[in-house]
Amino acid sequence: MVELVLFIIFGLAALFGAVTTVWARNPVYSALGLMLTLFSVAVFYVSNGAQFVAAVQVIVYAGAVMTLFLFVIMLVGVDRAEDRRENLPVQRPLALGLLVLFGAGVLVAGRFAWVTGAEGGRGAEGTVEALGSELFRRWVLPFELTALLLIIAAAGTVALGLFRRGEAEGGDEGEAGEGEEAP
Amino acid sequence: MNGSLTFLSVAPEIALAAAVVLLLLVEVTFKPRAWAWAVVAGAGLAAGTALSAWQWVAHRGADTGTFWNGMIAVDGFAALAGLLVFPLAGLGLMSAWRLAASQGRRGAEFIALVLLAAAGAHLMAAAADFIMLFIGLEVFSLSLYVLAGFTRERVDADEASLKYFLLGAFASAVFLYGVALVFAATGSTTFYGDGGIADYLAGTVIFRPGVLLAGLALLLVGLAFKVSAAPFHVWAPDVYQGAPGGVTGFLAAAAKVAGFAALARVLTAVLGARADDWVPAVAVLAAASVVVGTLLAIVQDDVKRLLAYSSVAHAGFILTALVAGRGGVGDMWFYLATYAVQVLGAFTVAAAVSGDRAGRSPLAHWAGLGRRAPWLAAAMTLMLLAMAGIPLTAGFAGKVAVFRAAIDAGYLWLVIVAVLATVAGLFFYLRVIVAMYLASPEEGASLPASPAVGWGARFVLAVAAAATLVFGIAPWPLLEVLRDALPL
Repeated sequence: MVELVLFIIFGLAALFGAVTTVWARNPVYSALGLMLTLFSVAVFYVSNGAQFVAAVQVIVYAGAVMTLFLFVIMLVGVDRAEDRRENLPVQRPLALGLLVLFGAGVLVAGRFAWVTGAEGGRGAEGTVEALGSELFRRWVLPFELTALLLIIAAAGTVALGLFRRGEAEGGDEGEAGEGEEAP
Repeated sequence: MNGSLTFLSVAPEIALAAAVVLLLLVEVTFKPRAWAWAVVAGAGLAAGTALSAWQWVAHRGADTGTFWNGMIAVDGFAALAGLLVFPLAGLGLMSAWRLAASQGRRGAEFIALVLLAAAGAHLMAAAADFIMLFIGLEVFSLSLYVLAGFTRERVDADEASLKYFLLGAFASAVFLYGVALVFAATGSTTFYGDGGIADYLAGTVIFRPGVLLAGLALLLVGLAFKVSAAPFHVWAPDVYQGAPGGVTGFLAAAAKVAGFAALARVLTAVLGARADDWVPAVAVLAAASVVVGTLLAIVQDDVKRLLAYSSVAHAGFILTALVAGRGGVGDMWFYLATYAVQVLGAFTVAAAVSGDRAGRSPLAHWAGLGRRAPWLAAAMTLMLLAMAGIPLTAGFAGKVAVFRAAIDAGYLWLVIVAVLATVAGLFFYLRVIVAMYLASPEEGASLPASPAVGWGARFVLAVAAAATLVFGIAPWPLLEVLRDALPL
């Protein structure tokens, strides 16, 4: 019962935050809306017994990442209003219509019923120890393979960030003028 | 769990990752010449191919074995994907070699990203768990996003890369949402084994499958984006036209192979028990792709956009094989393999005609190519005829195979639509051929300097032409072999 009440309250809060993130004109409000969503989702993690993930969510996402976002917003400038004119005026109604169509299609295909009879996934203990043991036993291969993603991130950043005009022409570093980085 | 097989199951990925790390380390430490990159990349890809070949010999036609707690599958399907993707990456690198070599020290990163994309593509085909599939998808896609904007010289290359990234990230999110809903419906993310999704669906009657069907639909959307099937194709023309010419062929070919491999395994092996639900959806996607791709290709004036829309139509033809379920997977592989080679060849010619780093390739560049560069024009003609499905090319054999699969599955209307689209498609393929042989360059038109073809591109074109002709004249041996590459 308590869980249901918590779910409804924080579910609504998460939805409100998500909508604010997209709709707010002021980017700072968007950031705050996102933070509300992140906090609400953290509550879900706790109610599912994943305390460690909840803590990480609050510290890393709501803390560090959001601070970074706010820095970027401040650097870009808060007062700059977003241009919301649509080049294609039909786009938004069309998107909403297609969404309704998608939902209706799935409902019809599922014979107007949503709930299924699957057993819930087996929940592991939400402690660091249990998480670590899951991560390094059952899920060790996906965990290790995320290393490839880190290599891509590093190589991609270097490749895109170190571009200098002129270098591409000669294929030699000497020709590149200093401080001539691409915007 | 068999100890030695555990590592052999991911050996192709290990080989490629080792090559990537070695390449980057050698690059930073010794700043070698470009041939050193080729040696390292070639060794990595050769090792990956050899290990896939070993998996093929040892496991084709046998039941799928899973390793790493059901994360990775070893079977003919995964091995064949490796046998296709790694050589394709090698050919893609040869085709893009002049581009990579012209990028100064950044060339090493270019090659590393191509190798990582190949590893991701193979992971997508070999994944036996949705989490694994998602990681493969991300490894593959993120590499391609960077490659699409690699040269940073033109605004439209940046635009292509950013568009690809934003839309691709959105499609990945949709895919992930689908995974979550399927997990909610079946209680598992693993494909095979006790308690896996296939096992659960085969043994359980779900009376109220709304969540499962919503998940299935979202999975289909996420993967249809990767293979650029209509109506999820809008990124393809801008990306193919904006990306640096040398790498476009690899982008187009690898995305098709990886996306369809993942789609085929997920649909036929994992969700095979719900085939009655997804087959109509796949048939509609196929028909929409074929029609939209063909009609929009007719009105294009840029050869790369034309090839992009034609790739949308080809996604439709390949989906046509999948309506036959598991029985169509062998035909899908045949079409996929031959089309991947053709599209790589066609974009290699486009890169030679319009430039390695150039984006646009208007038809005016192609006027009179038959006189300026007869061999290039001949290669392009062969590729275009094969894509159009002219007999004695692999394209014809592939079309016959997928159409027969769809007819056997009772989808005659889809085959009729596809055949009509094939006939209409002749128009735009022939338009390029006519421009190459019959049109003469406009007076005063600024044509790119005479097409420069590197040895790598020559090799790619020779291989593509040989494969297209050989498998066009005698497709049966390959079709027979591919019957062993079903996901079981």
